[in-house]
Amino acid sequence: MDLVTNCAALLKQQSNWGYHASGARASEPTALACLALLAHAERETALQMARWLSETQIACGSVGVSKKHEMPAWTTSLACLAWRAMEQASGTTEFGDSLKRATAWILSVQGRTLPRNPQIGHDPTILGWSWAADTHSWMEPTCLAVLALRALGQEHHSRTTEGVRMINDRLLEGGGCNFGSTVILGQATLPQMQATGLSMLALADTSTKDARIGKSLDYLERELSEKNATASFCYGLLGLTAHDRRPAQAEQQLNAIFEREVQKGPSCHKLALLLLASCPDRSWLPQIGKSPATHRSR
Amino acid sequence: MKSLDPTAEEMRQPSRRAILALGGAALASAAGVKTVRWATAPRAEVFVARNQRYDGTLVQTIRDGLLACDLQPQQFQGKRVLIKPNLVEPCRQIPYMTTNPAVIVAASEVFRGWGANVRVGEAPGHVRDTEMALIESGVGEALADAQLEFADLNYEAVGWRKNRGRVSPLPGIYLPQNVLEADFIVSLPKMKTHHWVGMTCSMKNFYGVLPGIKYGWPKNVLHHNGIPQTVVDINATLQNTLSIVDGIDCMEGDGPVLGSKKHMGLILVGCNLPAVDATAARIMGLVPERISYLQLAADRLGPLAENRITQRGERWQDVHSPFKILDEPNLRRLRADPNGPLVS
Repeated sequence: MDLVTNCAALLKQQSNWGYHASGARASEPTALACLALLAHAERETALQMARWLSETQIACGSVGVSKKHEMPAWTTSLACLAWRAMEQASGTTEFGDSLKRATAWILSVQGRTLPRNPQIGHDPTILGWSWAADTHSWMEPTCLAVLALRALGQEHHSRTTEGVRMINDRLLEGGGCNFGSTVILGQATLPQMQATGLSMLALADTSTKDARIGKSLDYLERELSEKNATASFCYGLLGLTAHDRRPAQAEQQLNAIFEREVQKGPSCHKLALLLLASCPDRSWLPQIGKSPATHRSR
Repeated sequence: MKSLDPTAEEMRQPSRRAILALGGAALASAAGVKTVRWATAPRAEVFVARNQRYDGTLVQTIRDGLLACDLQPQQFQGKRVLIKPNLVEPCRQIPYMTTNPAVIVAASEVFRGWGANVRVGEAPGHVRDTEMALIESGVGEALADAQLEFADLNYEAVGWRKNRGRVSPLPGIYLPQNVLEADFIVSLPKMKTHHWVGMTCSMKNFYGVLPGIKYGWPKNVLHHNGIPQTVVDINATLQNTLSIVDGIDCMEGDGPVLGSKKHMGLILVGCNLPAVDATAARIMGLVPERISYLQLAADRLGPLAENRITQRGERWQDVHSPFKILDEPNLRRLRADPNGPLVS
């Protein structure tokens, strides 16, 4: 059996859908696993996951980090991706209402902007999304919101274009990015693979022509190794693949990392990321332009 | 369980024995009140060891330090000890940014030797991928070799606790299960400068027990509620805390991430974190009373004043070596010597 078959089989066996092998069920691993299983035509378990996310959604439309914790709710974007992928894979309209409410929620929240500050390099006036309510915008929640809105047919919405602008603003001059800080007191901060990979995924197919994107992809190519931590490696590979720069040795590296995870006792979170990273292209992401008109708003 | 922080308790509830010992007559006069305040004010012990190396006798040093601070091995028998290193944003090229694995393993060995159930836990503040933090810092490998369990505090189950400090507006604080269940929480920081608050040591290191899953990466909720205020609140809310400071290869200049290495060869140990941090500040050439979170912690959580801290091991004056700090107005004023070293 190959990596995909093994990984999908193990993922289907998982019952806790958590960050760690013994961790409690959480929205992020569940949504990622739903996307990963759908990418490999495993609809039955994926449907259960999509339904659990729907049950986790609260009246205002948000999906908290877990059923027990309604806030923070940056995970709403991931739930949208999972529901939208389910719609596209099976033609179901079961999640239409969830998507509509979640889209409205994502568009209604924003990170706290701040005046320009000479001590920090990034532009804090640009609107993005935060991890927790009423705090500043940071890289990963903004990337996830942009990916979700684009999948929902909101690629031209002002919030989406502003989000793309924020992601670009937070790229480091030398390439790569981190949690969302570029320069502090005159000194450039350090890049991280997970945030860089996710930002490259979010910027793929946008009209951005910034030289820092090429440098970021170079950074990922340089750093990508089977010695990386699993999540960092997977996000790095997803970013490179989104820009048609998937390394030739990717499958070999994925196999090595998968073996390492199996020995440790794999988690839903890591298995889902490995399965997504094993996709040779971006087909696992819900396709732009196939969105039902009912989700569009301006 | 017996509290390890009698000084904080004394502040909230002055010792009856101490007051009685002074006699009722003394209470009647202003001088008497002053005497009572002096006698019941918090005191703490801080141990400092010099000439320390990562490949040296760290287990012995840490054990000596804990014993010198009046801790008894039997206090830890069968107890759950959570060791909290600083792995804020590890990077192989900057090993002096994070707590050295040798100090983590040595501290664990001491508590295990005393019959405790030891676990190492961290919620890195700038890194979503905790496994990456363990790999880059070398801590993951060291823990595996020492057969020590690691708790990923960013993603585990959490519980809410009332904010016992109430210096910031936060009514309560979410804490991970391993923190809530620990009998003792040991801060294992790196001695470093910090470009916003001057220095980071035992108290600031406890930012890293708060779960990212509730507070984000970075833990921006805390920043928006005031860094000094939330440092004090977290420390007031955590119970039974100790500190073992990695002051061997330290960071000066643009800490806590991008500063330069400064070799000091020190290990600091103490049961009262403000006192430990005040001693570290003095060694670094900073005035503890000018560091905002220490200022807030003084007379709430522990003593800063030199005459309230009993020095064990080396005297701080004998290992004093001013750290370069960034040439910023908010940092310049923290220096004990107005001509102390600055860096741009």
